[in-house]
Amino acid sequence: MPNIVPAGENSVLIYFGNKIDPALPEKIANFANQLKKTLGASIIDITPSYTSLKVNYDLGKMSFEAFSGTLQGLADRQWQETADFEAKTTHIPVYYGLDSGLDLERLLAEKNLNLDEFIQIHSEQEYLIYAIGFAPGFAFLGEVDARIQFPRLASPRIKIPKGSVGIADSQTAVYPTQSSGGWNIIGRTLVDLSLDNPENVDKFCVGDKVKFYPITRDEFVSNGGQL
Amino acid sequence: MSFKVIKPGFLSTVQDYGRFGHAHQGMSQSGAMDEHAYAWGNYLLNNRFDDACIEMTFGGLEIEAQIDTFVAVTGADLNFEINGQSQKMWHSLRVNKGDRLSWGTPNTGVRSYLAVKGGFKTAVMFDSRSVNLRENIGNKILPEEVLTCKGFSGANYRFTPPKFIPNYADEVVLRVLPTYQFNEFNSNQKDLFFAQEYSINNASDRSGCRLDGVPIKAKNARMISEGVSYGAVEIAADGLPIIILKDGPSIGGYAKIGTVFSLDLAKLAQKQPNSQVRFQPMTMQDAQKERKQFERFFKMF
Repeated sequence: MPNIVPAGENSVLIYFGNKIDPALPEKIANFANQLKKTLGASIIDITPSYTSLKVNYDLGKMSFEAFSGTLQGLADRQWQETADFEAKTTHIPVYYGLDSGLDLERLLAEKNLNLDEFIQIHSEQEYLIYAIGFAPGFAFLGEVDARIQFPRLASPRIKIPKGSVGIADSQTAVYPTQSSGGWNIIGRTLVDLSLDNPENVDKFCVGDKVKFYPITRDEFVSNGGQL
Repeated sequence: MSFKVIKPGFLSTVQDYGRFGHAHQGMSQSGAMDEHAYAWGNYLLNNRFDDACIEMTFGGLEIEAQIDTFVAVTGADLNFEINGQSQKMWHSLRVNKGDRLSWGTPNTGVRSYLAVKGGFKTAVMFDSRSVNLRENIGNKILPEEVLTCKGFSGANYRFTPPKFIPNYADEVVLRVLPTYQFNEFNSNQKDLFFAQEYSINNASDRSGCRLDGVPIKAKNARMISEGVSYGAVEIAADGLPIIILKDGPSIGGYAKIGTVFSLDLAKLAQKQPNSQVRFQPMTMQDAQKERKQFERFFKMF
């Protein structure tokens, strides 16, 4: 049963489990939908992440007692039920190359894999979105095959190009904009995931899926990719 | 219908009450760092409580009015002048077309707020006018930039009663709510946290306030990332606190010993690096009561 813990004067955290579990993001997404239907007007923000959902509510519209009571009731009732969340899958073309994948050469040597094997392992599975954060549109995808898991860099890079695809432990992600970061970079996509296109805010949702597919250097460059 | 920027100052941005409803897309709350000063600015002009203002950090801003209107300046005392004449803060003031408004360097506090009658009408981005530089949402104010707002020819004289004007030189005690992993820190660690005086690290900004002091230990320093509240006190890997502020990340994976009450964060927003701060426990009931009182006074609901 979900466990509710205070997170601030007008926010609580609902825990649905205590370890990363691929069944949780969809359950949390369903719960969030139910919550919005039941308490919509009183809810300011919801933040799903891996095993939990943070909810900020309007102190002026509802007392804490009423809010947490309704929340607990909903949690007890909805927990076993499946609901209306429908996961969508986004397909993302990636150029995996030694020039786009800034860490690829080192990673291949470390794991004794050739490039084709590496690409196949990374692109053959569908990833689940466990959380969105760090930056807008930055989706934490899991879980990466054990054969290509790597710890974060000891010291983060100052500048990672926009669209870079990275791996950190069991997670993989696309950097939506140029930024600093400590993930191992394995390739790059031309798909714009940044907020330069405002529609991108709804591109990803916790519980959705992402599938990568490899493109060649020629395809990358002829579509405007710069290396 | 606007103000024109002559000098942008050290760091000046447009801020409103904040960006809500976008946390699930990875966006921060954003908005004015000192909610007390911000709210008074709009109140003095009979604005909506969430109208946009200019937040300037450390001063240096100079702008020219291209309309007749009323303004109010609240927050840090940054030597505010109109046409070279020192002006009252925490008062609504008439401004005429061609007037030059300027700010120098801090006397007390760090962040000053310029509210204008009707609010600044800069671009709305994801339901808010707040600029968030970490998220590349909007930009800091630039020379020559035109800050749109409407003119106003009526009368609007109001001022803040002195008892509501903070002295930013006063010691800041941050009251902390028992949230998140509070119960997972043992009593020795909690005692150490509440007993010591921390010093504000230079690397503090709108995203977070880093503190220097004696390190404390979390049972599990790294944990599964979860939603981070405004004011959450993360204990980083080195045992030192980071208080998450308006532009902070929406999720994070450090253990959190509690959450600082929002209106105490307003006071923290006026503290320079190397200032001392202390923590003190607060109950949820007291925090909610005080916050509701604030929101009721400023007609936020």
